[in-house]
Amino acid sequence: MLELSGISKTYAKSAVKAVDDLSVAVRDGEIFGFLGPNGAGKTTTIKVLTGVLRADSGHAMVDGIEIAADPLGAKRRIGYVTDNPELFARLKAAEYLNFVGDVYGVDTVTRQSRVAEYASRFEIKDALGGSIGSFSHGMKQKLLITASLLHDPQNWVLDEPMVGLDPKAAFALKEIMRTRAAAGKTVFFSTHVMEVAERLCDRLAIINKGRIVFTGTLAELKAMQGADGSLESLFLELVDDDAEA
Amino acid sequence: MNVYLSLARLYIQSFYNLPTGKSPGMKRDQKSIRKAIAFGALMVLVVGDFGYLFVMVNLGMYKGLAMVGMQGILVLNAAIMATMLTLVVGFMTALSTYYLNDMELQLLSMPIQPRALFGAKFTAVYISEALFSVFFMAIAMMVFGIKEGPNPLFYVWGTLAGLLLPFPVLAVSYLIQIPLLSCAGFLKNKRTIMIVGGVVGIAAALGFNVFIQNMMMRIQDPAALADSMASPDSFITRMGSVYPPALFAWRAMSHPASAGAIGSMLAMVVVCLAGPAIVIFFLSGAYAKSLVGFNEAHVRKLTKTGADRFITRHIRSGYLFLTLVRRELAMMNREPMYLLNGPFIIILMPIVVGVMFMVQKNALLNDPGLAGLRAFVDGGFGCALAGLVGAFMGSSTSIACTSVSRDARILPFMKSLPLKPATYMLAKLAHGLIFAFLGSIIGVGLITVVLRLGPVDVLASFPAALSMSILLNVGGLWLDTANPRLDWENPIAAMKQNPNAVIAILGGMVLLGGSGYIAFRASMGSAAFALWFGAVPFVMSLVMLAPYPRFAEKRMARMEA
Repeated sequence: MLELSGISKTYAKSAVKAVDDLSVAVRDGEIFGFLGPNGAGKTTTIKVLTGVLRADSGHAMVDGIEIAADPLGAKRRIGYVTDNPELFARLKAAEYLNFVGDVYGVDTVTRQSRVAEYASRFEIKDALGGSIGSFSHGMKQKLLITASLLHDPQNWVLDEPMVGLDPKAAFALKEIMRTRAAAGKTVFFSTHVMEVAERLCDRLAIINKGRIVFTGTLAELKAMQGADGSLESLFLELVDDDAEA
Repeated sequence: MNVYLSLARLYIQSFYNLPTGKSPGMKRDQKSIRKAIAFGALMVLVVGDFGYLFVMVNLGMYKGLAMVGMQGILVLNAAIMATMLTLVVGFMTALSTYYLNDMELQLLSMPIQPRALFGAKFTAVYISEALFSVFFMAIAMMVFGIKEGPNPLFYVWGTLAGLLLPFPVLAVSYLIQIPLLSCAGFLKNKRTIMIVGGVVGIAAALGFNVFIQNMMMRIQDPAALADSMASPDSFITRMGSVYPPALFAWRAMSHPASAGAIGSMLAMVVVCLAGPAIVIFFLSGAYAKSLVGFNEAHVRKLTKTGADRFITRHIRSGYLFLTLVRRELAMMNREPMYLLNGPFIIILMPIVVGVMFMVQKNALLNDPGLAGLRAFVDGGFGCALAGLVGAFMGSSTSIACTSVSRDARILPFMKSLPLKPATYMLAKLAHGLIFAFLGSIIGVGLITVVLRLGPVDVLASFPAALSMSILLNVGGLWLDTANPRLDWENPIAAMKQNPNAVIAILGGMVLLGGSGYIAFRASMGSAAFALWFGAVPFVMSLVMLAPYPRFAEKRMARMEA
């Protein structure tokens, strides 16, 4: 379970709040979509949730553990896929997976079976001996996703995970999300792709200019807006209304 | 704005990492201003240091040449040296910036004339070369001007010559590189280019060192210096007669107020600008084409059974701390250009010192002032010198003092991992200490060979060298944790344009110089040196390390890379 309450964050070099009094709760067994325009505060929220950034105020909890109080305990319960797969270009894929495995304390047998499973699903098994620097954007993304699942986290946090993935890999990713949610684990992801959010999410939140403008199911969003359009049209209406207000 | 000017501005900003104006919504950052001022002051110090060296060389030359009435050759020498320096540095700069980054592929997709693209890049590279060249000419002008009091036009022609001299050499650099990179596919890789550029840089640095050592030696004997420079067979005379731009500059500056001077300068303008004009006119298309396919990488693939075997063999758990240290080593900048200032300085420095020793060996051995050196060395100074050189080698790698800055791009990911900041940072220190150990061995070994030290001196100097290296590395880590450079475009900037590296090296020099002074004044023997300079820095390192984990945790939490 992931819980953010009253989170505000202003970057040191900025005069504007990136996130302003944000509260969201994601339950176990739920796929939660986090939507918003560019620069709305999605990545900042995810960075606070994963302990990358310290919030100016508010609380971030992972399975009941306050991340500021016990950062290591909270981080161990998260698998995180960043929005920037430009990592460790000088390492080989296997070296990177071993690095992440060692940080999360995954034993050799479990590590080998999970690498074999996810690398096969994302079709990067034959490239494990290759240097990350020679990988395409999509391959790096697949490697990041594989690494994030090595320790079978209770909470899976993904920042724009579909970017760069081929249709087969995107399908595999959605399948893994569903399987994990069905097993009672939490999936929290940000996306710009409305179709994905519409089909995949149990609940979603929409953020604009650092503030949450909606949290709930798609049906609740339709009811609130008094319209029966697609998520895309509802999202645009909501964001535009908020901009005008 | 004109496309060429827009591109030139873009390239200049990218090459030189120039600060941009304050963005709307951003706070005025007093700390950045203070940092910029401090970095500027450091640059003035470094430039002043080199300036002093060249002033002394030029003064020595002037004295020698004035004795035979040929002091005018000083100007020809400056023009030729400016040409040679810009040829070497310009060739390296042109090569290392030939393909800047993937931004260039995007530029290729835009409706931009190849001439505007190449012309803009030429302009950006030219700026640094012009600064070098004008710097060289200005020092010669200053020395000659004070001594001879020439017509004010002398300075105008000298400055103009300084600005014009890099044009033909840069044109030649591109004339070689464009066909080479158009044909040789293996060179179309940024890392390969860095390796080639690094090797050229090392060769140039060694050549320059030999030149300066030779000049410094001859300064002692002005008559021999004048003879070696002004004789018909000298390099300066031969270059002057076959390289028209240097000859034109010399002629114009020798008689600055004459009509011939204007003619010489006009001829120089035509000759110098012809090179870039020809290269830009004829080779721009080839240059743009050669950028296509740059940095293409091919993934090495395993067979299906090979992949299974690979997982069984290579996916294995390990000790976390060792994994972190291995990551530091794997991520380390390994290109040869880091021999110049970076981890591999521990290899280059002994070569440079070896060259100095070989060039000046006879002079050193025959110097009556050094006759008592042996007794001095045996009295404990040899041990101290070995220890200090070892400590310098072990602390000048810039590993610890740039360790956080170099990780700026991956810092958000590292912070998301369940990893104690202290463990992460101490792995960085361990990386620095591996090189501190190697540097101390090489430094002590070098002085041991040169001064033929005995085993007692070696045994006493090595622990002191290592202990002082540890202290300086711990200091460097504190420095980069407190004030990392987290905003950079190019990973080279994290090490080579990092004020922390300059502060650490200068601070190390001051500390080691002070330690040498104390050892010398106290007439310390080997045992006393080992005790004081082994034990005290070690204890200081422990004292500095004790509060470090808490400090690292606090700083990491605040970093917003």
